[in-house]
Amino acid sequence: MIEFVNVVKEYPNGFRAVDNLSLQLPTGEITVLIGPSGCGKTTSMRMINRLIDTTRGEILIDGRSNYDMSVVELRRKIGYAIQQIGLFPHMTIFENVAIVPRLLKWQDSRIRKRVDELLELVGLNPDTYRDSYPRQLSGGQQQRVGVARALGADPPIMLMDEPFGAIDPITREILQDEFLQIQERVGKTIVFVTHDIDEAIKMGDRIAILRDGRLVQFDTPDTILSNPINRFVRDFVGTDRALKRLGLYRVSELMNTNPPRVFMSDNINKALEQIEKQGVLSAFVVDEETGVLKGWVDRENARKNTSLLDAMSESGHGDIAVRENATARDVLSAMVNRGFRVTPVVDSKGRLKGSITLAALQELNDMDNDYAPTLPPALDTEE
Amino acid sequence: MGSGLAAFAFFFLPLIELRPNRLASGIGFSLLELQGDYSYLVLFFLSLIPFAIAYRTDVGGRGWQLAILGNLMLVFSFILPERAGQLILTDAVTYLSDDVIINNPRILPSGGMFFGIFGGYMVLFGGLQDLRRADVARWGRLAIGWIGVLFIVFTFATGGLENYSFMVELRNNGERLQEVTIQHITFVSVSLLIGFFVGIGLGLWAARSERVAPLILYSVGIIQTVPSLALFGLLLAPLAVFGARLFSDIALQFIVFLVITIAYGALFSSIQNRVPSMARTPLVIIGALIAAIPLTLFVAVVVAFLYQIVLLRFTSDRFFDGNTLALLIFFAAFLVTLVRRFLPDEPVRTRILFRLNSGLIVFGVLFVVFLLFESARVYLGGNVNLDTLSLSDLGISGIGVAPALIALTLYSLLPLVRNTYAGLNNVDPAIIDSGRGMGMTPRQIFLKIELPLAFPIVMAGVRNAGVALVGIGTIAQIIGGGGLGVFILRGINDTSIDLILLGLIPAVFLALALDASLRFIEGVLVSPGIRQAEDA
Ligand SMILES: Nc1ncnc2c1ncn2[C@@H]1O[C@H](COP(=O)(O)OP(=O)(O)OP(=O)(O)O)[C@@H](O)[C@H]1O
Ligand SMILES: [Mg+2]
Repeated sequence: MIEFVNVVKEYPNGFRAVDNLSLQLPTGEITVLIGPSGCGKTTSMRMINRLIDTTRGEILIDGRSNYDMSVVELRRKIGYAIQQIGLFPHMTIFENVAIVPRLLKWQDSRIRKRVDELLELVGLNPDTYRDSYPRQLSGGQQQRVGVARALGADPPIMLMDEPFGAIDPITREILQDEFLQIQERVGKTIVFVTHDIDEAIKMGDRIAILRDGRLVQFDTPDTILSNPINRFVRDFVGTDRALKRLGLYRVSELMNTNPPRVFMSDNINKALEQIEKQGVLSAFVVDEETGVLKGWVDRENARKNTSLLDAMSESGHGDIAVRENATARDVLSAMVNRGFRVTPVVDSKGRLKGSITLAALQELNDMDNDYAPTLPPALDTEE
Repeated sequence: MGSGLAAFAFFFLPLIELRPNRLASGIGFSLLELQGDYSYLVLFFLSLIPFAIAYRTDVGGRGWQLAILGNLMLVFSFILPERAGQLILTDAVTYLSDDVIINNPRILPSGGMFFGIFGGYMVLFGGLQDLRRADVARWGRLAIGWIGVLFIVFTFATGGLENYSFMVELRNNGERLQEVTIQHITFVSVSLLIGFFVGIGLGLWAARSERVAPLILYSVGIIQTVPSLALFGLLLAPLAVFGARLFSDIALQFIVFLVITIAYGALFSSIQNRVPSMARTPLVIIGALIAAIPLTLFVAVVVAFLYQIVLLRFTSDRFFDGNTLALLIFFAAFLVTLVRRFLPDEPVRTRILFRLNSGLIVFGVLFVVFLLFESARVYLGGNVNLDTLSLSDLGISGIGVAPALIALTLYSLLPLVRNTYAGLNNVDPAIIDSGRGMGMTPRQIFLKIELPLAFPIVMAGVRNAGVALVGIGTIAQIIGGGGLGVFILRGINDTSIDLILLGLIPAVFLALALDASLRFIEGVLVSPGIRQAEDA
């Protein structure tokens, strides 16, 4: 755990960039520092590995002050990745990733294994890229190397200052997703600075919103979206926060896992029975053998026809279904596009896993409105 | 175009000139006047062929033909007239009027020949461009491009051009030429070496301290604006006085001023924060002035003395045993570096090679120090008596090499300081920041990041300085410093172009060789990751 205790930073010119910051960043989680430009995010982050000295207050890492050990030792235990990447252009990718292990005087064989492992982790083929130089790589690839380098000696803590800030939106999405997968495996304590609220919501287990060097709200993304503490936070997260919040939920958490379902070989009465029993408008038709979604049959058609195959509207699962790892926001968008009130959910092979209704999404938004957020002391006032 | 020019020149301009001696003007001979042998007309026809070739459309074939033809034109323009000249020389008396003194009669290349060479070069160049367009491999183009020149050099080396006036002078002055060339090389290398350390030191200092940076950069800039002649003059008087002093006095003064400087520095840095910012700049300037005294004393003595013993080293009879060994050691170290660069990263192997490399370098340096020490002992005659040893015994006086060396060293400073400063300042702060963030110590950041990244720019500065020094060094003779300027000045006095050439051509080759070898070193040492990125 990283703990800020009444930390103050005053620059030599008298400017107070961080003002009495107290914050606890839980182990193994991504904590995002966010706020408008100049609010002190970078300053706060850089005080952790003492690239900037604190003026007053203390930063504790697992209960020990970060001034208790030598600065070099401290930094070698903390991964560091920045927006400008800062790869060393005169060194190969291998040498770049091997920097900290070499500083720590690891065995050569261990370093080589580690570098290959890391390059694979960030999705770069070691044999192709090991001996390349940074300028031979694209911006996105360079940032991957930057992340691999920060993970070099397997530090328990990572500091990341807008690591994906200078990368085009599409690549950024990909890198974010990949990074979340990496984090699932490595479980580091990560301090992640950004000024992009969407990125914060996506990446953060917790979000600390700063303003003029002070902490305004520190909560999970869900709470910040559902219960912004004051107008500043509300404005900061934007008017579409209900929509953004949908982005936090996976379909698999919200779906009905026992949707009305009939097999291709069943007769029409079975379908009608299912529809009546669940009180819905339609049932989904799946292949008996594979469980793959084949189409649907609605009540009208089921009554008019005598055979299931005649009554059913046939359709590929790609056209009518959503994937189970999609967000609630994706589902809403799909439903609005297709004009559905209910949508089947499938897995990556197209097998029916459940269904989700528009009503369920609405319900989600009404759910937390009476939740009272925890207010940091002295900040519970609106301006 | 080129061939037209050449044909025209061959036909109308005198190809060579016959001179009775170094000073008198001569008479010209054009192609048709070359008596006895009409085979020289081949030149004329040769230069017409390109017109025919130019209409071919197959680029590759045309390129080869033009290149070969260009080479032939170059070589024949150079060599055939010399053959003809030989014939003319044998009957020199018949061509010249009676009242001139014939002393080492000589053949001078004349307008026609220069145009011929120029035309040949243009044809060759056109051919090379065609070859490039036809995607002929680089080594192939290099080979065809240089073969003619190589042939000429070969002819020259085997004494095939001995009737040209330049060669006549070379024959007469061969030994002296060797001597002044060694002097010149020593000049340039000693002042470049000292300038290297002082300049890089100052550049580092400037890059590290915002406050002294303008001071340093302005000072070395101003030095560059002083004309070299004036600088020699300025150094004349003080050095003359200086040279008369006893070494022991100077050593004492050096120590006294060093102590004062250190005391001042300590005092200044302790009260620095309490000094009003207005007074800071003057205080820094005063500090710099005080520090300049021991620095100047030190550099002056070391430079002058070093020059003497290096020169002694190179001109000693036992030149080959010691020096060659030292050179061989460094060459071996360099080879190891080269091998290491191109070996795949096999840690055990590279580590062994790394050790070997460092070992060789250390050994080489020790050996060189030993050699210099040897020479110093020889120079001082073995019986040094500190009471009577004066600075002029150490090679310092108003005229001669001391002022020349000092001036050259000063001139080398600007490119070195400026490039070191720029190189270090150009390193992307984000790169240094990530180095710090990963826990590199300041020393590691300097050695592993800043230095390698600034290296190409620093090296460009060294190259600039070196090439400039070779040129400026020719002026040193004005104050009796020696070097290749010896011939050039004499040539100017005698209005003898041959003598000027005799000084000039080695100087040009020196500059080119220096540049090429520095580039080569650079090519090996600069990481491929940043190569050609900053080729300025
Ligand atoms: N060396 C310094 N001296 C004086 N003031 C500084 C210094 N560095 C930063 N500041 C000021 O401190 C404040 C916080 O800077 P910081 O870099 O932490 O902002 P940030 O939140 O990271 O902003 P951004 O999103 O633009 O990166 C800014 O107002 C900045 O001007
Ligand atoms: Mg910032």
